[in-house]
Amino acid sequence: MPAWWPQRRRWAVWLSCCFFSVLHAHVQNELRAPQQVTVTGNRQTQQISVSWRGSHASAFDVIILRPELNQTAFYVTGLSANESGGRQEWEWTSPEPLECTSLSVQIRSREGAATGAWSAPAVLPGNDVPAKGGFQFYPQDGVMAAGSNGTFCCVLAQGLRLGSIRYGSTLLEATRLSRRSYGVTVTRQPPSTTYGINVVCQDLHKSQVAGTVLFVGYAPLLTDLQCHTEDLVSATCRWKRARNTHLRGKRRTRFTLNHRECPETQFTDTEMESCASQVWEGNWTLEAVNPLGRFVLRDGAQMEHRVRPTPPLELSAEVSAWNATLRWSWEHAAYRSLSLVCQVQLGSGGNGTKRPFAGVGLRSARLLQLHPDRDYRVRVRCGARRNFFEWGNWSRSLSFKTHMDVPEAPDVWMRTDHDNSAHVVWKPLTARQSHGRLTSYQVTWRSPGEMAGGRTESVGPRTRTLPLHPARTDGSTRITATVVAKNAAGASPPATVVIPLGGPDQTVVAESRADATERGFALVWPERADCGYVLEWRDALCWRDCSVEWLRLATGSTEATVASGHFQPGVKYNISLFSCSSKPLRRWHGYVRELAPSGTVPHLSVSQQDSDAALTWGVMPEVGRRGYLLGYNVYLDNDPGVALLANLSGEGSRKYTVKGLSKGTYKFTVKAYTLAGEDVGATASITLRLLADWLILEILTSLGATALFLAMVTFLCYRKRKWVKGAFYPDIPQPKLNDDWSRTQGPLDVRASPNHLVRVVEKPQVDSFKEVLVVIPEEDEDEARQDDGVTTTTTTTTAATTAAHRQRPSSLRRHGTIDSSDSSADSGQMDVFYTGIQTSASSRLSPADVGRPASLAPAHGGGYRPQRQAAPPGEDRRDGEPEASPGGGREASPGGGGYKAQTAWRSDSPGEAEERPTSLGSPGEEERAAPPSLGSPASVASTQFLLPDGEAEQPGREKRPMSVSAAAAAGWFTNLLSSAKA
Amino acid sequence: MADRRSDLTGQPENRRTTLTKAVAIAELLHRESSNLLELYKKRETFIANVISGDSRLVSVPPPSSQLDTRDKLWCLQTAFLQCERLMERAIAKEDEALGIETGEYKILRKMVSDRISYLVGTIGDVIKAMDGPALVTPSFNDSLEPDNLTVFEMKLWVFRVFLEVDHWAKTAEAVLQALPKERVKPTPRLRSTRRSRR
Repeated sequence: MPAWWPQRRRWAVWLSCCFFSVLHAHVQNELRAPQQVTVTGNRQTQQISVSWRGSHASAFDVIILRPELNQTAFYVTGLSANESGGRQEWEWTSPEPLECTSLSVQIRSREGAATGAWSAPAVLPGNDVPAKGGFQFYPQDGVMAAGSNGTFCCVLAQGLRLGSIRYGSTLLEATRLSRRSYGVTVTRQPPSTTYGINVVCQDLHKSQVAGTVLFVGYAPLLTDLQCHTEDLVSATCRWKRARNTHLRGKRRTRFTLNHRECPETQFTDTEMESCASQVWEGNWTLEAVNPLGRFVLRDGAQMEHRVRPTPPLELSAEVSAWNATLRWSWEHAAYRSLSLVCQVQLGSGGNGTKRPFAGVGLRSARLLQLHPDRDYRVRVRCGARRNFFEWGNWSRSLSFKTHMDVPEAPDVWMRTDHDNSAHVVWKPLTARQSHGRLTSYQVTWRSPGEMAGGRTESVGPRTRTLPLHPARTDGSTRITATVVAKNAAGASPPATVVIPLGGPDQTVVAESRADATERGFALVWPERADCGYVLEWRDALCWRDCSVEWLRLATGSTEATVASGHFQPGVKYNISLFSCSSKPLRRWHGYVRELAPSGTVPHLSVSQQDSDAALTWGVMPEVGRRGYLLGYNVYLDNDPGVALLANLSGEGSRKYTVKGLSKGTYKFTVKAYTLAGEDVGATASITLRLLADWLILEILTSLGATALFLAMVTFLCYRKRKWVKGAFYPDIPQPKLNDDWSRTQGPLDVRASPNHLVRVVEKPQVDSFKEVLVVIPEEDEDEARQDDGVTTTTTTTTAATTAAHRQRPSSLRRHGTIDSSDSSADSGQMDVFYTGIQTSASSRLSPADVGRPASLAPAHGGGYRPQRQAAPPGEDRRDGEPEASPGGGREASPGGGGYKAQTAWRSDSPGEAEERPTSLGSPGEEERAAPPSLGSPASVASTQFLLPDGEAEQPGREKRPMSVSAAAAAGWFTNLLSSAKA
Repeated sequence: MADRRSDLTGQPENRRTTLTKAVAIAELLHRESSNLLELYKKRETFIANVISGDSRLVSVPPPSSQLDTRDKLWCLQTAFLQCERLMERAIAKEDEALGIETGEYKILRKMVSDRISYLVGTIGDVIKAMDGPALVTPSFNDSLEPDNLTVFEMKLWVFRVFLEVDHWAKTAEAVLQALPKERVKPTPRLRSTRRSRR
């Protein structure tokens, strides 16, 4: 290292120190606190301007305080200030009005992170200073944009305390800005009404109030600026406001056109606003300004393209009957050379038409094709014919009335009635045809050959017809009638019609049904005539004073549609086509709309034809048809409902037979129907009765059935005769004859055999009905006879017991045991009883009996008497000798002696048998009570004996009491079974 | 006005009718001013809570019972002349600050103003019918018409004008109804030169 190195080093350090010291001094100089700080405020814009000097720093820090409460209202660091005239300047907009409270501003210099000292505070005094002690509110009469935020402050009077701050009716929350000042903020404010929004501050005791009216709206927005000329010199510019600014009065929008202020105009959203310029400038600038902003519109055009004529003046009219000439004048003489197009609006009676006219400097227009005697109202507007821009305004309206003219010729036709009267008829002239108020119609009629003269009659203007009775037509068959209409202007051309007299024309022509459409009748015809046509129609059912309508058609027509406001549904119309003469070419008839018949079928009757019902009815009158009859429906009215029996198509079907009815009452309804439906129906009733033939037939049928039944019964009986015989007429067993029965007839000894005793067992506990008859077989009897010679028999008291048998027990009860007759003992069958009288000896003879000797036949009349036993020799008994019974003497036969037990037998009817209890103790009474029997000859008792019941042989078993009928039934059934077995 | 006066002269029936008409007009004015107040309160909802009805704009003492009839009528006429002036100013200020009014409020406001004018003339007829001078020269106090009002202050002032009109309409109705009709005498046929202020 050289020697000089420390010295150089020392110099370097020294220089460095000097540099840094200079630099530091410079920095110290730059970061000095700003001097002479001043603050000014613009209370309209709420801006404050701050200026200072004494510092050349590149950046500054600014702090704005509300000094009373030492609140920071704003702080910014590192801002760049503008330098002007050696002073630094900076501006700031306060959110609150500057009157709200005092603001203190301090500034310091900044270089990077290094900052200088704060300047001394510069104060912008507010209105809350003690010098201004009143009750205040800011801002006053503020105008704010819709949607923006608004900040307000209330400065209380000295000594007051804040009560409330309201925005309209909304209570706001206040922020204290100073000891007396409070601020509120409203966000997104809506547009106010034209009266503004009241923001009101009240003290706590509501003793004082301060407030402001705030107007919230929009900046102007315009559209459709267009300038035109009316006088070919000046310009008028029009525009529309695109939106309502909500600002009026002092805050309204003001307009300037090419920097010339426009007079204030009334504005509504639907109207155009305008501003005039004295000269045509070619280019225009419209500027609209209000407190919230400005809007500019521009327009430019050549004058000839923007001509909008003024409305015509002094409109007048020259009027005739059919034409009128309009005249007018122009406000501007320049129009004399201007090619114009005009519209004339012509109105009459609520109708309006626009007729165009054109010409250079147009000042008149001729209106053609007007109608006489009519009121018109006209007005005119015009536009430039070349480079048409738009129509000018309408002129004032002008009213005029055209003159009268002679009427048009009336439309004349004729009408003939069935009473041979004729009428001239004509259509009333309309206002358009009459050309003025009609005064009369003049009718002239004459014979066709007459060229002049005839008879004339005038009738009133409301008359539509004139009758021509035969007396007035001098017996002519045809007359020519001429009708003329008159008004103040004169008479119309004549209208003529030839009228045939003598009643309606009966000419036979083609006739068909007319097709009805929605508009009327559509008619087509092939005939072509060169003198035009008349289509006439009238009510087909009208007979007298009928209205007639007609339609005139041009030559060569072959079709037409007949329409009339007088057409009625359900009415039949006759339509006739005439041409060149009063004779029709063709006829139609039809309904514009068919209806269901209003009447019912007449004369509905019903008659019985055997089991059928024949319905007949008459022709339905045309009046009630209201349509073409398509047929009839026949209904049967039953209780549950109505049943359709038949649908008879065709109008000619007027009878119907309902077949196969049974007797009873029937109600029939017949309804005619058209295309539209049925009528209400006519009803007829009939009650069907059975005929005499039917009665006879029923009787014969009944008789035949009875005869057939009897024949079948007979046949069956014949085929089963053995069974029948066995069942009903069983063979009577032949008595056993031990002796010779050929002896002569003698009295029958019926005394009991000494060896053949019948013992009656008394059963006191059993009543007489329960006595049981015990059948003793012969063998047993024989054995008994052999053993002890006594037979014990239990007597059964039945109705079938004969008197003799009944007498015997009664006597036995008295005597204990009696002896039977010897003769009976001989026969060994003496217990056979006969309870009936054999009325026919032949029929009761068994085959064995047939061969008997005649000696066995009864000697006396009265029939078969098998019990009559001949008295054995030596034991003759006299006739009439009483038997053991004391009362037996009554039983003596008057005709012959002997046994007559069967002479009195009882009916085998169970009822009778039961009703007649047998009294053993009173034989006499029993005898008297026994009537003569005419019943079956069969003896039940004998049957019992002939066919012993097995049960009877059961020892120890008590015999069940049995009635005679029961016994008979049992026997009958047994025989049936045995017969069946056989 | 000349037509209105011509029928008051001479006839006893017309004398009675003059007072009756004045009463009827006062009643009508009272009803209309009440309606106008209600309409204004409905529009400016805050105002009813802010202003009491006891602050007077019209510098005329009330027609006390110590005054005779003629003085009462003069008081009424003077007060209504001031009311008429106040109404005109109120309408002008409103239209200036808020724009030309439309609708029912505008119609009613104009109706009250016109009715006041009519009542002033009618009261003059009544005074003339009592053999008194028909003309009252009103003294206007310009302090009644404050300038440089904010819109808020203008609203308050207009409301006070309406209150004043309503107060005097009510007073006139009561005073006129209390007047004995027989006191009204026929008025001489003379032409009024009143209201030259315009």
